[in-house]
Amino acid sequence: MEERLYDLIFICRPDTPEADVDKIISTLEHAAGEKQTKIEKTEKWGRKRMAYRVHKLREGYYVYMSLRTTHGELVKELERRLKVADPVIKYLTVRLDEELKRQAKLKAHRERRAARRPRKAGATGTAPGGSEQAVASS
Amino acid sequence: MAEETQRPQQSSGPGAGGPRPGGGPGGRSGPGGKRGKRSYVRRKKVCRFCVDKVDLIDYKKADVLGQFIQERGKILPRRMTGTCARHQRWLSVAIKRAQNIALLPFGAEI
Repeated sequence: MEERLYDLIFICRPDTPEADVDKIISTLEHAAGEKQTKIEKTEKWGRKRMAYRVHKLREGYYVYMSLRTTHGELVKELERRLKVADPVIKYLTVRLDEELKRQAKLKAHRERRAARRPRKAGATGTAPGGSEQAVASS
Repeated sequence: MAEETQRPQQSSGPGAGGPRPGGGPGGRSGPGGKRGKRSYVRRKKVCRFCVDKVDLIDYKKADVLGQFIQERGKILPRRMTGTCARHQRWLSVAIKRAQNIALLPFGAEI
């Protein structure tokens, strides 16, 4: 299976002690390690004001993780653990590899188009079109 | 005379029905007529993302996304923001994700 990239964000209650947050993170890392998953990064965004009330709370402790895996069913397992954890009030998993593939494709396409056009001396980036349509020898 | 020709029926064409959102954009008729009190044609808006050549609209950037929603949390239509169709689709996906993770509001806070 091809490798997938997931973004996982979860929000804990704002009064959760740091140790509990770390415990949740290590639980997720442990579950991920069992399925040969690489955790690219873990970011703690800390206390942030939420846009609406969740469980009657206005603020939450945000944690962001990025994972690379070939096992899709890992996501279900992680979400199950988050659902069970008491301090976690909200979570969201997003699959990103298709979007990144599309982004890379568009970027490559754009760069190829820019390289095809004749470049003026000293100018970088897109050359002016229109009357500058010289026959480029590639 | 000109005002009689293209009066839209109770259809859902652009800008038809209800209070019209001011003069130019989206209206088929040009300046003049009873349609718009302001008789100017608004200049063409460009898609902000096309100008910056953005290939991926990140749902985590609430400050960027927040410019494309109303105070109540509703997504602004393309004719207001000038976004192109492709970026509007990506934008709406990103906004909905951000709303789900409480980075953007769904509706007005009481």
